[in-house]
Amino acid sequence: MGDDAQTPADLLQGTLELLILRTLATGEKHGYEIAEWIHVASAEALSVEEGALYPALHRLELRGLLAAQWDTSANNRRAKYYRLTPSGRKRLKETRESWRRTSIAINRVLEANG
Amino acid sequence: MAEWLSSLRLRVRALLHRRQREQDLQDEVAFHLAMREEQISTSGAADARSGARRRFGSIAKIQDDVRDTWALAPRISSLFQDVRYAARMIRRGPGFALLVVLILGLGVGINAVMFSLVNAVVVRPLPFASPDRLVRVWHVPPAAQFPGATRFSVSPANYLDWRTQNGVFEQMSIYAPGRATLTGPGLEPDSVVEGIVSADFFDVLGARPLHGRYFETGEDEPGTDGVVVVSEELWQTRFGGDPGLVGRSIVVDSRPRTVIGIAPALMAFPARARLWTPLAMNAEMRATRGIHDFLVIARMKTGVPIARAQAEMDTISKRLAVQYPVDNTGWGALVVPLQDDIVGDTRTALLVLLGAVGFVMLIASANLANLLLAKTLGRSKEIAVRAALGASRRRVVQQILCETMLLGLLSGVFGLLLARGSMTAIVAYVTGTIPRSTEIDLDARVLLFTLGVSLTAGLIAGLAPAWRLTRPNIQSTLNQGLTRTATGSHDRRLRHALVVSEVALALVLLVGAGLLIRTVGTLRAVDPGFDRHNVLTAVLTLPQAKYPKQADRTRFADLVTQRVGGLPGVEAVSTIDSLPMTGGSTQPVSIEGEPVKPMSEQPEVAVRRIMPGYLRASGTRLIRGRDFTKADTADALPVVLISESMAKQFWPNQNPLGKRLTLTFRPGVVREVVGVVGDVKITGLDVLEPVAALYAPLAQNPGGPLSLVVRTTVPPKSVTPSMAALLHELDPDLPLLNVRTMDEVVGASIAQQQFAMELLGAFAALALLLAAIGIYSVLSWTVRQRVREIGIRRALGAPTRDLLRMVVVEGLKPTVWGVVLGVASALALGRLLSALIFGVTPHDITTLSSVAMIITLVGVSATLLPAYRATRVDPVIALRDEP
Repeated sequence: MGDDAQTPADLLQGTLELLILRTLATGEKHGYEIAEWIHVASAEALSVEEGALYPALHRLELRGLLAAQWDTSANNRRAKYYRLTPSGRKRLKETRESWRRTSIAINRVLEANG
Repeated sequence: MAEWLSSLRLRVRALLHRRQREQDLQDEVAFHLAMREEQISTSGAADARSGARRRFGSIAKIQDDVRDTWALAPRISSLFQDVRYAARMIRRGPGFALLVVLILGLGVGINAVMFSLVNAVVVRPLPFASPDRLVRVWHVPPAAQFPGATRFSVSPANYLDWRTQNGVFEQMSIYAPGRATLTGPGLEPDSVVEGIVSADFFDVLGARPLHGRYFETGEDEPGTDGVVVVSEELWQTRFGGDPGLVGRSIVVDSRPRTVIGIAPALMAFPARARLWTPLAMNAEMRATRGIHDFLVIARMKTGVPIARAQAEMDTISKRLAVQYPVDNTGWGALVVPLQDDIVGDTRTALLVLLGAVGFVMLIASANLANLLLAKTLGRSKEIAVRAALGASRRRVVQQILCETMLLGLLSGVFGLLLARGSMTAIVAYVTGTIPRSTEIDLDARVLLFTLGVSLTAGLIAGLAPAWRLTRPNIQSTLNQGLTRTATGSHDRRLRHALVVSEVALALVLLVGAGLLIRTVGTLRAVDPGFDRHNVLTAVLTLPQAKYPKQADRTRFADLVTQRVGGLPGVEAVSTIDSLPMTGGSTQPVSIEGEPVKPMSEQPEVAVRRIMPGYLRASGTRLIRGRDFTKADTADALPVVLISESMAKQFWPNQNPLGKRLTLTFRPGVVREVVGVVGDVKITGLDVLEPVAALYAPLAQNPGGPLSLVVRTTVPPKSVTPSMAALLHELDPDLPLLNVRTMDEVVGASIAQQQFAMELLGAFAALALLLAAIGIYSVLSWTVRQRVREIGIRRALGAPTRDLLRMVVVEGLKPTVWGVVLGVASALALGRLLSALIFGVTPHDITTLSSVAMIITLVGVSATLLPAYRATRVDPVIALRDEP
């Protein structure tokens, strides 16, 4: 449908996926850990919406960028752990590159004089 | 691509392990909540649990989103939502839904019934093995003697030559339909249609018996032919399903025959046959080339196209014409697919009727669209709000269509129930009028068709409201708070367009019905050449075995007519071999004093054998000369009566009385013309050219079938019981068959047109009613829309008459446009009907103008109630009503 305009939510979704991939590059984690990691790593500037986190995780799993498995958590509870698959790693690299280029470009525009 | 595939694999796996997946999702969320709760409580805040929940948001919503991610096709789940929503809407307004299901369901039911007829007769292949290879082979008679005839029965000798000389047919069989009388100890005599068939008849069809076997080679020779195959129905009704019937002997036409097999119910070939006996041909019959009495079917070899079979038969016919010039000059052959041959003209009638019910369905859908339009407009605001909240146009349309298609589906179920309930009555109604009626049922194809019709109807009905509601004036709807005037001219035009199409469709149907009514009227008004009123007819079948000598048969016929003549209420009684319009013999004639021509070039006339008194009993006019009398016996001078047209054809401008002629099939008997009688519609009411006919006394030409013709002074059917009792007294083994009034005989000859007229008439009436409802509902709506305007006009002192005129004119606009469009379509479509109509042209001005008038009148009356309402508008209320 041509009239389904790109909404802000779509932009956010792409960003959230990049953040998830980046987070998991440091090793496998469960959903709660991912949310906390992003929160801490952003110096508490970003707080992940749980409502968006889980659908995003499942979407990435479905696309084969993440693999998941159930394991026991540090405090002895059963938890679902996500990790990057090779294609997830590849995607992270690509997206990271394009993000960097885009943000430099946007910064240039914002800083440009007259 | 690979990603897409592995993702599909994962989705399918998710679907298969749905419960596990669901559990995992619950666990995952629970784990998250527990972790968050722990974190909050260590930070010292109170009520950690609800804090965690609050932070998480709606658990159900998130789980739904995750489920959507995993769904096989993500859109389906939103579709399910919409279906649930639609079901809720329907439950909320059950009255409306009920109305829709009634209107639409009736339409769907009619469609289902009509399609089941088309399916059984036209679409479905014949119930035989490889039916596409089955053909009928006809003779094509010389055009000079049989103008217009292209299909003629076949003579035995020609059939035998076709059979041995062709290289295109696997097998070929000769047969004739007939009537057989069943008798037996303790059983009422009964007469049934039989097939008299060569031994390989069932092999050609590739049919399998239900029990026992079919005929074997050699069982169609005189002497070894004492066998019979009975139908499943006869086995059940007459023999009580006796499992030991195969092998037993039964009496057929006073001759014992051994039952060798039982044919399944589908084996109704020839039409309505209940038993089959072998056609035992003796040497004389095998040599008969000039008498054409039989039908031929054949199975083409695999891979042989019909054109090649035709070419081969052309070659053989030419060869036979050279070899046997006397009998075969000018006689060709025609190969027709058996199904086309059986279905014949019925195909056109059925397809026209199917088109007609399609029209009715379209009108019903348009009506429903109108209803829905009014209803959904009431929901405009709700939808505008949804759209403003981000529901895409696709989603809004999907939701509306979901609702209408669900209604369509419900109507489909209701329609199918209607069709199922009326099936028995329908089959009874069409039996005898259309072929293959025993095969009518609701099979998978009918179900599929009905499903398609219901969904399409729902779709069509939903398109208008869906289109209307997604017009880009959502903004204004919200701003204006849906004032009544805001619904504007768009809607009016849309609704008018719907009414225009309804009126146009109804008009086309009415024109079709009108043309058929005129056809049947014209046919009924045709003078058959005899007096059809107050005449009772019945068939007498005298079994060869019991009445072996011709003299016995003639004596019995004499006795019957004499005794029936004495019954109270009987004015005159006689017999004829074949009643008018029920077929009969056509024979070559040669005239004394003219040079002898080969038989194939001799003129042919219809030949009928009658007893004295036939002219009086049937009401046929004697123009000159004398009628037959008791004195015209076998020993007296052979005499004939001829029809007026025959007199003109054979002896133009001469007195035919006293002229002499010979019937070629009875050589050596010179007959004298003693009278001229009026022309009779012997072959059918729709045959314009008079048919040359010759009548000969039964006493001088014994044999053949016998039909009683009884003129009564009382209602004819009231004589039936005393006649049946009398016959039983004379011979308890003789059934009184096929008792019909002459009116019924004549009526049966136009049954096809009558059938088409009745159905099309009913459909057209329904269409008219639906269109009237459409006009009415649109106009009521318009009046309601303009209540404020009308109120102002009244307040300003507009006279009632002006208001009335305003509303009526408004209502008539779409009607008039519909009439114009409909007349144009009727003119364009008239050609389709030309095969069914008689005595009127498809562009008949009387029909067109009277139908246009009827529709306009109906249109006007549909506007009256809304117009009256407009005049009752109270200006004060109308003005206060709106902001």
